[in-house]
Amino acid sequence: MNEFILVETHDGTTSFRPGDLVEGTVRWQLPGAPEEIELRLFWSTEGKGDQDLEVVETVPFHNPGALDRRTFRVRLPAGPYSFSGKLITLRWALEAVAQPGDHAGNLFLTVSPTGEEIRLHR
Amino acid sequence: MRAGDNPFTVQKVRKIRYRLSGETWEGLLERLAKLRYRAAIVGPHGRGKTTLLEDLAPRLEALGFRVRSVMLHAGDRRLDREQRQVLLRHLSPRDLLCVDGAEQLGRISWLALLARSQSAGGLLITSHRPGLLPTLLDCETSPELLEGIVRELVGSETDGRQIEELFARHNGNLREALRAMYDVWAGAGR
Repeated sequence: MNEFILVETHDGTTSFRPGDLVEGTVRWQLPGAPEEIELRLFWSTEGKGDQDLEVVETVPFHNPGALDRRTFRVRLPAGPYSFSGKLITLRWALEAVAQPGDHAGNLFLTVSPTGEEIRLHR
Repeated sequence: MRAGDNPFTVQKVRKIRYRLSGETWEGLLERLAKLRYRAAIVGPHGRGKTTLLEDLAPRLEALGFRVRSVMLHAGDRRLDREQRQVLLRHLSPRDLLCVDGAEQLGRISWLALLARSQSAGGLLITSHRPGLLPTLLDCETSPELLEGIVRELVGSETDGRQIEELFARHNGNLREALRAMYDVWAGAGR
């Protein structure tokens, strides 16, 4: 069986502006029904130094089936913006995690006033 | 290059797990059992002691132990209140205590930990120097090990001479060598 957890926005958009509403669907197919599926909206950094990470919002999906789908709506906060330099990249993502277990699926988002990642160097 | 695309970010490097040399995990666990689960992982900075300790934890849990871990940093001469709670509260033979950086503890604190740990099922430490407990493994590195890790991170062949120079410049400290590789890739503007 092909196991997956898929996070999608309704129109496939992954570029947003601060304060935008993100609407989409989480679909999954797992070996058995998990106790819960939780969707997390978060940002994290990646680079030369230690990682910073903040979960901004969580959306629990109760009583999930092994093969199931749920819709979600989350409001993006004012910041931080998605940016990238030589030393650090800040990314936004939606991640759906099945509990218990280690199944997860994610979708990277870009959040900035222009809808594009801010580049700190050229 | 965007930082997130650099193959040597801390996050990507941390995904590289400990590579045992000339020994299996089963063999290592057998030796640990023979040492009554009281042993030390020894080696200088950047040799993978913490990674090995992390990688042993789930294997010890699979044996039925409840692993209780703390990490000590430079200057931590004794366990603070929270660390004592994590390690020592309501100890039972099911508990296996892991102390990363045990050489930081002052002598009295170390002896106190040793005494308290008698109620636990084991005490596994990392230390820069041998002698605190029987040595389970002396972590060693080599240019070949560094080359293998770099190859895995980059996903292609590497410059062997560059790796050897890097290894020598950082005296076998793979953590520092891989940090230097981050700068090489960031500066190269690939």
